[in-house]
Amino acid sequence: MRQADQETQVAVRVRDLNKSYGTLVALDGVSFDVSKARVFAYLGPNGAGKTTTINILCGLLERDGGEVSILGRDVARDPVFVKSRIGVVTENSNLYPELHCRRNLEYLGELYGLSGAERRNRAEELLCGFELTEKADAPFGSLSRGMKRRLTIGASLVHRPEVLFLDEPTTGLDVPSAKALRRLVRKIVDDGTTVLLTTHNLFEAEELAYDVAVLVGGRIVARGSVDEIKRRVGGARSVAVRFSGTFQEDALTSACPAVKSAKPQDGYWRLDVVDLHEALGQLIAFCRQRGCRIEDVGSKEPTLEDAFVSLLAGAARPDGRNGP
Amino acid sequence: MSQIARALAISRKDIESYYGKPPLVTWGLLFPAVLILAVYIKDRAGYLAVAPGIIGMTLLFGNTSMAAIVITFEKRTGTLERLLLAPLSARTIVLGKALSAAVYGIATSLVLTLGFVVFLDMPLARPGVFTAGLVLGAGIFSFLGIVASVLVKEVFEAMTLMNFFRFPLLFASGVFVPVAGMPWWIKPVAYLSPLTHVVELLRIGVQGESSLGPVWVPASIAIFFLLVAGVVTVPSFRRCATR
Repeated sequence: MRQADQETQVAVRVRDLNKSYGTLVALDGVSFDVSKARVFAYLGPNGAGKTTTINILCGLLERDGGEVSILGRDVARDPVFVKSRIGVVTENSNLYPELHCRRNLEYLGELYGLSGAERRNRAEELLCGFELTEKADAPFGSLSRGMKRRLTIGASLVHRPEVLFLDEPTTGLDVPSAKALRRLVRKIVDDGTTVLLTTHNLFEAEELAYDVAVLVGGRIVARGSVDEIKRRVGGARSVAVRFSGTFQEDALTSACPAVKSAKPQDGYWRLDVVDLHEALGQLIAFCRQRGCRIEDVGSKEPTLEDAFVSLLAGAARPDGRNGP
Repeated sequence: MSQIARALAISRKDIESYYGKPPLVTWGLLFPAVLILAVYIKDRAGYLAVAPGIIGMTLLFGNTSMAAIVITFEKRTGTLERLLLAPLSARTIVLGKALSAAVYGIATSLVLTLGFVVFLDMPLARPGVFTAGLVLGAGIFSFLGIVASVLVKEVFEAMTLMNFFRFPLLFASGVFVPVAGMPWWIKPVAYLSPLTHVVELLRIGVQGESSLGPVWVPASIAIFFLLVAGVVTVPSFRRCATR
């Protein structure tokens, strides 16, 4: 693809972004691209610098250095243009508690420059789309946590933004509400909106995102598609095996070098293996030697969570190497 | 929709959410009404000398407090972030916030004045000048309240910060004693205080005369203070909102 074509496919571009609070370096040369109409998961432990990045991208915080462009414009130079095209859902549901739901949506519509008829129609559309029509005349402060979250996301869509920032969207929600919200996010993306998602819920990130960046200590330690990130941690797999005999963990790991760790759990051995083929061969040889049999075996692909934990461990190592 | 229309939307919403609530309206009315009644009962002829000062004081305390309370409250609840994330310039947000606080100050002062006119026979020799004094005072003090609120995190911090300048201003601005009757060493401070010129406009509005010269003198100085307050408030708000 030509560079110009690639440029038009990028909704958010961040290059060498730096930010410090006094002597504390919050962001150190952060760079990534977010493709249009995709979900990009921006992951990292607490204090990694995720919220600082989002606040800079939204124009809430000034950067010390680097380049940031959203839909080709710099938020620091052209804040009104950028803010009219982005929607932001912060970690807290921060609509006006004393205003009723419809009035909240209409007021935000006014701030985004919608005409009277437009904002009334849009408010009804969003209340209906987010299944809150019955609560249209209830004060926002009286809603349940799940309803507040839904309306907050709805409010961020009042002006039909092209880029949506979602900061921990399902925090504090029960399982059905969180599931419904993930369905909503998929629908928003299907409609052509780009979503930049920050979350601690790696299952959610894996389910929604195509591209991922992992931020640790203000630096990006991994970037790519979800599959690439999972492959990059060395292809470690989790295998569950039930043997007919009993033995000690040391005996198993010393006889099978491809098994990196082994833990008994619910009648099975949970094994972390690097090369499945090699490990199975070694396990069969081990059984023959011990006179026991493999009664059941199951294997699990590494999840994004496995990859994330491995990346964090790698970032903590002096050599920075990932993987088990 | 223009930025001015959006500023008006912010004002309307703030009046609906905060300023139109009965407790705030009664707070803005009861304190100055009781104060003037006390002076009136003591000296029926002399209360007119302090009535404009007390109306000016109501504007100073009401507007600085309310503008600061609303912004620090919205900072705490996260709703101020909603405005900062919307396509609004800092000027629009400041204008919207100042306008709603000013409307509150002008409305309570007008109700108070109407009460004095009806029940205490307070004259209004030059109603136009009186109204100009209310509008200019409400504008200046609303901007000052916004500056105080962006410098701090909590409501009590804003109040403490503002009391450092509000109480000295009361002492040195002709609220209780006309500037002409003040000791010579306070007079320079009095002339530098916006409250002095606002009170003087109110005094001209009530009594028709001034000790500071013709009406254009306090009017021009009050307009100058309003412009300076506006010019200082916008960058202060922008800097504090994006730090």
